[in-house]
Amino acid sequence: MDDWKPSPLLKPFGARKKRSWYLTWKYKLTNQRTLRRFCQTGAVLFLLVTVIVNIKLILDTRRAINEANEDSEPEQDYDEALGRLDPPRRRGSSPRRVLDVEVYSSRSKVYVAVDGTTVLEDEAREQGRGIHVIVLNQATGHVMAKRVFDTYSPHEDEAMVLFLNMVAPGRVLICTVKDEGSFHLKDTAKALLRSLGSQAGPALGWRDTWAFVGRKGGPVLGEKHSKSPALSSWGDPVLLKTDVPLSSTEEAECHWADTELNRRRRRFCSKVEGYGSVCSCKDPTPIEFSPDPLPDNKVLNVPVAVIAGNRPNYLYRMLRSLLSAQGVSPQMITVFIDGYYEEPMDVVALFGLRGIQHTPISIKNARVSQHYKASLTATFNLFPEAKFAVVLEEDLDIAVDFFSFLSQSIHLLEEDDSLYCISAWNDQGYEHTAEDPTLLYRVETMPGLGWVLRKSLYKEELEPKWPTPEKLWDWDMWMRMPEQRRGRECIIPDVSRSYHFGIVGLNMNGYFHEAYFKKHKFNTVPGVQLRNVDSLKKEAYEVEIHRLLSEAEVLDHSKDPCEDSFLPDTEGHTYVAFIRMEKDDDFTTWTQLAKCLHIWDLDVRGNHRGLWRLFRKKNHFLVVGVPASPYSVKKPPSVTPIFLEPPPKEEGAPGAVEQT
Amino acid sequence: MSRINKNVILALLTLTSSAFLLFQLYYYKHYLSAKNGAGLSKSKGSRIGFDSIQWRAVKKFITLTSSQNVPVFLIDPLILELINKNFEQVKNTSHGAASECNFFCVPRDFTTFALQYHLWKNEEGWFRVAENMGFQCLKIESKDPRLDGIDSLSGTEIPLHYVCKLATHAIHLVVFYERSGNYLWHGPLRLKGHIDKKFVPFRKLQFGRYPGAFDRPELQQITVDGLEILIPKDPTHFLEEMPHSRFIECRYKEARAFFQQYLEDSTVEAMAFRKSAKELLQLAAKTLKELGVRFWLSSGTCLGWYRQCSIISYSKDVDIGIFIQDYKSNIISAFQDAGLPLKHKFGKVEDSLELSFQGKDDVKLDIFFFYEETDHMWNGGTQAKTGKKFKYLFPKFALCWTEFVDMKVRVPCETIEYIEANYGKTWKIPVKTWDWKRSPSNVQPNGVWPVSEWDEVIQLY
Repeated sequence: MDDWKPSPLLKPFGARKKRSWYLTWKYKLTNQRTLRRFCQTGAVLFLLVTVIVNIKLILDTRRAINEANEDSEPEQDYDEALGRLDPPRRRGSSPRRVLDVEVYSSRSKVYVAVDGTTVLEDEAREQGRGIHVIVLNQATGHVMAKRVFDTYSPHEDEAMVLFLNMVAPGRVLICTVKDEGSFHLKDTAKALLRSLGSQAGPALGWRDTWAFVGRKGGPVLGEKHSKSPALSSWGDPVLLKTDVPLSSTEEAECHWADTELNRRRRRFCSKVEGYGSVCSCKDPTPIEFSPDPLPDNKVLNVPVAVIAGNRPNYLYRMLRSLLSAQGVSPQMITVFIDGYYEEPMDVVALFGLRGIQHTPISIKNARVSQHYKASLTATFNLFPEAKFAVVLEEDLDIAVDFFSFLSQSIHLLEEDDSLYCISAWNDQGYEHTAEDPTLLYRVETMPGLGWVLRKSLYKEELEPKWPTPEKLWDWDMWMRMPEQRRGRECIIPDVSRSYHFGIVGLNMNGYFHEAYFKKHKFNTVPGVQLRNVDSLKKEAYEVEIHRLLSEAEVLDHSKDPCEDSFLPDTEGHTYVAFIRMEKDDDFTTWTQLAKCLHIWDLDVRGNHRGLWRLFRKKNHFLVVGVPASPYSVKKPPSVTPIFLEPPPKEEGAPGAVEQT
Repeated sequence: MSRINKNVILALLTLTSSAFLLFQLYYYKHYLSAKNGAGLSKSKGSRIGFDSIQWRAVKKFITLTSSQNVPVFLIDPLILELINKNFEQVKNTSHGAASECNFFCVPRDFTTFALQYHLWKNEEGWFRVAENMGFQCLKIESKDPRLDGIDSLSGTEIPLHYVCKLATHAIHLVVFYERSGNYLWHGPLRLKGHIDKKFVPFRKLQFGRYPGAFDRPELQQITVDGLEILIPKDPTHFLEEMPHSRFIECRYKEARAFFQQYLEDSTVEAMAFRKSAKELLQLAAKTLKELGVRFWLSSGTCLGWYRQCSIISYSKDVDIGIFIQDYKSNIISAFQDAGLPLKHKFGKVEDSLELSFQGKDDVKLDIFFFYEETDHMWNGGTQAKTGKKFKYLFPKFALCWTEFVDMKVRVPCETIEYIEANYGKTWKIPVKTWDWKRSPSNVQPNGVWPVSEWDEVIQLY
């Protein structure tokens, strides 16, 4: 380009008639020599400038690249380091493509080993009866779920069907029987086992041993079975050894859009199984809920402590309901897990929440109690500005208006020293005894199960004298003791804002849950406006009670209070009954009444100065203990208080169960 | 080659090269002139220096944080100082377009911002967006010190620092956490094994050498160099705090071990004493803060903090130290106004001053004034009966922040030397009978007050 020189001898191109418009134009130009020259010189100068700028650019770019190179070396190190932090993906593509799996089934022992690592071993006596199921990730061989279904007992096979149906197709399923697994294995379950390709499973008989390895929806990879020869004896122990080919990571994972949420979901779903549609490839259930914000939310900055153990499925259900509640602020939630359990931590991570693990201290109730203490202390450490904390447990459903309920009532805790807590739970609020979601009560008992704790109460009173690990006390029983409560009361709603769904637990079993928790009323209406909240303050509440008692119709005390006809078939009336209560702690008649009303009767709950408030047939029903209650003055002289005899001792209530 | 072709080529070349030239001009303006700093582009007129890499990094960072709702504020000491000096000018030009880049264009390696963690709502997505915007980011995490005090909790690690690099300029984002005692804490910046030590010149960072404690600053919004940013409302106060912000954590692990060996005294009396002592210390801290007098935990109170992270229940009093140069004549009246009557006063400002105030429930507040010599510090003691003087020697020390009974208080940074000077090597073993004249290992007699001065130097109430 540089040495090109314009020729002064350019001639006009008159001879060529067929020309394009461009050449015509050029022709015209060439007729004016000076102008042409000028243009040419200009163009050359222009090109020269371009060249110079180009050279400069090249030099500068080279310098920049050199600098970038100096920078980029360490970057590569950093990338590598990041790679090292993320081993699971790498492992998927490791050269080893086969797992060798050993499964053992016998009367007293089962075990499963994957590549020589024991992933299940159960030889405890009187425990672990039934079908043990293990789910492996087909790409990594990781254990994703471990369950045991005691199919000797009723309904456990239903749970098994439910679980197996939730497992994603392609996963490796391992089943093994310990002791007995057939007695209550019904047709549905057997049909499911048949659909998995099992030969022996559907035909499983009394005290047979059975080991099975198969891919869900795919081929059976191994099965062994031994029939029990007689009713009184067991099948021979069987040991199944088989190779499980691994598939690629891509096959094992769903193709969700690459978002932050789905990254969490992928991490979760490649680790654990048994959470249903959250891991479904097509149309997975959301893990972010964004419920409506609450206008004027007074509890937006109140920390929420979720106390959890090793019940990850419960925790999953609980967190879903919590995160769907209006006015929730996820960054205020901390989940405290009692023990180094991985799966609950995975659930916490799935929802993008903060999880804290706690080394277990002590045993049984004391362990729970120590866990509570550490969790509460940590909560106030993490949120030093907070004046309150919401305490929840992993086996609670949270009402959609839980925070709205707290937002409307929390000022009471600030303004009224005679309050101990606000709780979302009404011990006596069953389907047939609770009615009005706008109504609040004051009660002398602390219900727990979703409650608000005042920081000053915790820091100044409770924390310093919290039961030490060697005392095997229930923390909630301890909190209910008069030394701690010191005459203060709790605010509760008529219709509970939490629902206790836990069936498995330290103080919990299926029977107990059915009897005392299943029929509990739970508010499902969003944005309930509470009525007359300030009338819950100490003095105002007395005025309110006196007003209620004055307008209440006295029931016919000659009738049997356990009969349905004790209350007339009306709606919206207020009725009062008087029962015998000699002293402040005489609850003989109340307990019997509670029993026949089918409400909480294991200890006294829900009382306020010898008065209980509940609903019967949509009528407000007041019960006054005479003469211990100060409201006895409202008893017309003609009425004789009801007295109910306790039943003779030997029947006994279902053990010494307590509510946790 | 025919002439026509030549002409065609000439025209085509001219066209393409002009296109190139335009592109290069554009490119040049945006990338290369920035490398040469603000100086080169001065001649360009109205918007001077706004193409510097620093300014662009900061602008990009501000755009990022405001779009992602990351509540950051500026704490860079160099820029804060500049802003502070030219505050009037900053205020006046705040809304009009700034004509000259005065603050963010000074060549530096870092610009430092801070973030209050509890105000941050969406931690997750931020990082990735930053990287998409061209930042290379480094996140430094560590375990949560707020859980340290509690037995056996292990939480998710918390982010302490972010360093985001754009070309040659890095933004250092310090994460502040709220701690019990109404202050903000930031963690140390420690590079773990796999982190690239040359990512940025870490040694030049202004924050992160040690953990630090700060008063929670109120913030204000200002426009500097055309950027809307938040800065502390009182930059002077923040800048004054900085050099003395080093924080040391209580030794919770050792304290737990101590309590395993010598069980915690949880009798009613012990609990009552700890409560009154805590309240007394809180009152003293408040009173001295209002006076603007620095103090630190001394003697038994300091030992309690260091050994067991709590108040020694049989110590009977609260001990604090104050440098004599911080002495103010209205200290006594201020304490009296706060409801703490003077119990005794020994010595005088020039020599061996010691004040003692009577708190509630028979708990006493002892204030020892420390005198500095070339190679050591000392405080004095006086025996009321005999007028004998004593001197307690300490190696020189600086002051650090710590958290003690839900309060942010100072302690000597060189705590172990301080405690060993006072209690000897056996400080770990609890001693219940203590004679202030004989027991300390650093006590030495210091003569006797002349009788004529007794009225002044021995005042008992």
